[in-house]
Amino acid sequence: MIQQGLEEIKKQAPSEAEICGVATTGSARYLAGVVLSADLIKNEITAHAVAAMHYIPEVQTVIEIGGQDSKIIVIRDGVVIDFGMNTVCAAGTGSFLDHQAERLNINIEEFGQRAVESKMPVRIAGRCTVFAESDMIHKQQMGYGTDDIIYGLCQALVRNYLNNIALGKEILPRVVFQGGVAFNQGIIRSLSETLNMQITVPPHHELMGAIGAALLIHEEMDAGLGETRFKGFEVSQTNFRASSFICKACPNQCEVAQLSVDSKVLARWGGRCDLWERVGK
Amino acid sequence: MRVGIPHFGNVYIPVKAMAQRLGASDKDLIIPPLMSQKTLDLGVKYSPAEACLPYKLTLGSLIEACELGADTLAQARGTGICRLGYYAKNQEQVLHDLGYNAHFVTLDVSQHKFKSILQLIKTMCNDAPWPKIISAFRFGIGKLFALDKIEKVVQKVRAEELGKGEANQIYREAIKAIDEATERKEVERVTSECIDKLSRIPREEKAKPVKVSIVGEIYVVIDPFANMDLEVELGKLGVEVERTMTLSRWVKYSLFLNPLGIDEWREVHKVAMPYLKRDVGGDGWESVGEKVLYAREGYDGIIHVAPFTCMPEIVAQTIMPSIKEDIPVLTVLCDEQMAKPGMITRLEAFVDLLRFRRKRRKG
Repeated sequence: MIQQGLEEIKKQAPSEAEICGVATTGSARYLAGVVLSADLIKNEITAHAVAAMHYIPEVQTVIEIGGQDSKIIVIRDGVVIDFGMNTVCAAGTGSFLDHQAERLNINIEEFGQRAVESKMPVRIAGRCTVFAESDMIHKQQMGYGTDDIIYGLCQALVRNYLNNIALGKEILPRVVFQGGVAFNQGIIRSLSETLNMQITVPPHHELMGAIGAALLIHEEMDAGLGETRFKGFEVSQTNFRASSFICKACPNQCEVAQLSVDSKVLARWGGRCDLWERVGK
Repeated sequence: MRVGIPHFGNVYIPVKAMAQRLGASDKDLIIPPLMSQKTLDLGVKYSPAEACLPYKLTLGSLIEACELGADTLAQARGTGICRLGYYAKNQEQVLHDLGYNAHFVTLDVSQHKFKSILQLIKTMCNDAPWPKIISAFRFGIGKLFALDKIEKVVQKVRAEELGKGEANQIYREAIKAIDEATERKEVERVTSECIDKLSRIPREEKAKPVKVSIVGEIYVVIDPFANMDLEVELGKLGVEVERTMTLSRWVKYSLFLNPLGIDEWREVHKVAMPYLKRDVGGDGWESVGEKVLYAREGYDGIIHVAPFTCMPEIVAQTIMPSIKEDIPVLTVLCDEQMAKPGMITRLEAFVDLLRFRRKRRKG
């Protein structure tokens, strides 16, 4: 995937472009960081906050809803002062809607538009994805309109988000909404109705993590970190091999992942202790 | 009598030392293997899902002790509002149902601690003469104090060392050496050698590490297995860690100073008063007070560690945002569902937050 992405960038970038720095973010940031010899590996929470502040400097609350992750970031005077991230359940995330759209036989792309057309949303129990599904089927069988059911689902997701991830956090305007789910007009409508606030969706909202990481590395390189460690686009031709094994050093039996090129191990991670991380270096 | 104990931080080291001094053989005291995924799996399997992590881990550990033939088990007991009150009773029943007829001896950690611990030792060592008991006790406690003294240094070095992981390596070796030491002199020698080695680790000279204090429920605060090596991970991120709660502090106050009327938490409770006026069980009251104190002492942030479903810490977590003293708090909930990558993402974001905040304050 990363190598394919790199190929794409190579194709699109002007030939005289010079790569000054490379940063990775997201849950695969360490793996991607090793593959690309990244100069900066940054967690997605910070990256999202930085990007939001770049586009909307007066932002005080960032709502980010992605596929499996959702976050809230509280910003005051240009500094992140608090954040929250879903821990045990994906019911407040995009997967929830994906799943229900599939069930309703509706394309997720038109899901949002249909929700906006709803006049009388149906109340759907949204605490748990499985229960939401049975409740939704029930409502379908009762004869409620599909648009109203769809908007009901959007409201359920928003309720869930506000009651779990945003619990105890002070939501002040401006509220910036980003992540893949920000494509969904239904969620935007429900958020602004529930919070009684205007919701701003920044441009490129689905790429804010990447943009944030890029802004951070740009700043660091400007501050004089020196040369990038990036080895050039040829990396896309290198034959990386990811594998894993069970460590037998203790009863923990950790699954250790490793990345290698030709039989040379570049990095290892995933253990409970640092036994293999040290060996990898 | 074959006595088994559950694991909790380095507790096994002083216990083993005392037992050896009292002439116990390997068969008399059974230390279960260090906690592992297996311990956790066992504990989870035989516990109600909503029980807290310390319950599950100590149960798993006790089962492992029984597997090695323990017939008497030592466990803590309390009279507070925390679930610790029924740990021993419940675990005894669970073990009984599993076919282990182990007898429980309990140590009251809420009140009459001094009397309780003496009684426990007296029962365990078949009425050995007092001078012998006291000498053994001193030897064991000496090891505990030595370990905590080293750990304090490690918490600082980890943040600044250039080759990440070196301090931890030395610390691990020291734990082993202290555990194996048979004389007090040897413990002292190992301790000073270790601290000397730590001081010679190459460090980043200009480092002004972010300082974070760890507060919360004592078991998950102290035990690195329970909190997924929280302090090591913070060290890798260049964070200096401080925590009030250590086993040696508990021993020092509970056994020696509390009976004299000195309460180590008096100040903490006093500053917690405007927000919480009473004990809510476990360490909830202390967590609230500690937030106030650490904010006043100029720390950059607080990591609040709590077992998932722990009522006292949930009370504390809910109260913390209303505290006037402004200091960022990250609550880390520990249970068997906790995944390390998720924890690390949150820690990294929290540390970024603290660094930005510090920069902003200066500039």
